[in-house]
Amino acid sequence: MPRILGVDLPNDKRTFVSLRYLYGIGKTVALELCAKAEIDPQTKAGQLTEDQLSRLAGIIEADYVVEGPLRRQTQQNIARLKEIGCYRGSRHRRGLPCHGQRTKTNARTRKGPRKTVAGKKSVKEMR
Amino acid sequence: MSRSLKKGPYVVEKVFKKVLKQKDSGSREPIKTWARACTIVPEFVGHTFMVHNGKLFHKVFVVEDMVGHKLGEFSPTRMFRGHTEAKKAAAS
Repeated sequence: MPRILGVDLPNDKRTFVSLRYLYGIGKTVALELCAKAEIDPQTKAGQLTEDQLSRLAGIIEADYVVEGPLRRQTQQNIARLKEIGCYRGSRHRRGLPCHGQRTKTNARTRKGPRKTVAGKKSVKEMR
Repeated sequence: MSRSLKKGPYVVEKVFKKVLKQKDSGSREPIKTWARACTIVPEFVGHTFMVHNGKLFHKVFVVEDMVGHKLGEFSPTRMFRGHTEAKKAAAS
């Protein structure tokens, strides 16, 4: 198992897929990294040499925000919105979607599991 | 979709002028405004605005973090007071 920045990469996936196991690295960045480190993205992650791994780690550390720092950055951005008391901040505080989606139905990702209210008309009855 | 850089931020002239005027005179009275779409620029920091929400004016004291947001973001237009629990009482 090759390790990069404290995260295990799966052995038998191709490099550009394995890299995505790091938080903050997706398809685009993974391919970018391979190009920068001059590694064939198609080689299996288990076959990367120490040298290649350290090169990847070096590039990530220098130019990208990933894992812990990225999580912290996101949290800080949200905390900022909450603090200045803007609309998006209040949506975060209430656990509702912030980008103007509808909340009459759906929005379950933000709102969590349905809380059924007794006596409330169901969708079927309303018709 | 962000606004084109060529145009620069959308700042309502009238509000901007009033802020500059306040800067000169040094007074810090709240500026009453309906211009919710006006972007907050660095010049606004430290000033107070009364932003209309369709019904009343919310007092907004601009701090540095608010730069880049719109005035309207700080004056909520909807009021949610929670759901009624009356249904339960009616059933019993």
